[in-house]
Amino acid sequence: MTTTRMTRYDRSMLRLMNDRRGWPLHATAARRRSVVAAHVVLTAAIVALVGHFCLSRAEPTWAAVVVAVLILPWMVATGVINSATRGLLELRERALDERQLAERSRVLARAHRLMTCLLAGAVVGLLAAGAAGGDALRVYSAPALAAVLVVHWLMPLWVAGLTAQDEPAEDEAVTL
Amino acid sequence: MSEQVHNRLAMVRAERKVSRQSLAEAVGAHYQTIGYIERGQYNPSLDLALKIAKFFDLPVEALFSLEPFRPLTDEVYGRKQS
Repeated sequence: MTTTRMTRYDRSMLRLMNDRRGWPLHATAARRRSVVAAHVVLTAAIVALVGHFCLSRAEPTWAAVVVAVLILPWMVATGVINSATRGLLELRERALDERQLAERSRVLARAHRLMTCLLAGAVVGLLAAGAAGGDALRVYSAPALAAVLVVHWLMPLWVAGLTAQDEPAEDEAVTL
Repeated sequence: MSEQVHNRLAMVRAERKVSRQSLAEAVGAHYQTIGYIERGQYNPSLDLALKIAKFFDLPVEALFSLEPFRPLTDEVYGRKQS
């Protein structure tokens, strides 16, 4: 941790992010991958439903209900990923130590590279849709932009969840 | 930039009966960081290495080295390295 004094909020967040009760949910790499995969699927479903909600001319009440139902497991999955990374992205800089700050920089750099590829893909896709004629570009620009924005927001969390390492066991054999 | 730094942290910590958590709190690091240093998965900064050495009241070279440490019994009983 840095020498800057932590606030009460920092300390409570640090305690929350290091709470070991959720440890079994993300103890192994396979479990962390499963949680991230579930989070990606839930996010895609929520974005698709919100897109449908916005684009549909009919009364899409069912979409709003399903989104409300999906938000809860999405929040749980978000919490599990944050717990797996010990709040790598949620905690303020002053609540992280030098290794965590270096890890956060690595995660953000990797997420940035992935997002650059995704944005390039989105631009090419939209340009191709525009070149094909019709009003596809006009119809899909806003939803595509919204989807990319959501992915941009969550990509660091997914990368952090996938790159988190197993916790070193306290009673590991001492190698002399 | 990934030079391996060898350390005897796990051994010294076990010998002094200090938990990772209490060492981490004393040197202002996360307890996982102490574990990663012990496993050789993270090389501490000079600042952190000096803080750890100070905590154990040992010179930093007793805990960290660029060369692999000789087995402790060899050092104590003076067996020459082959």
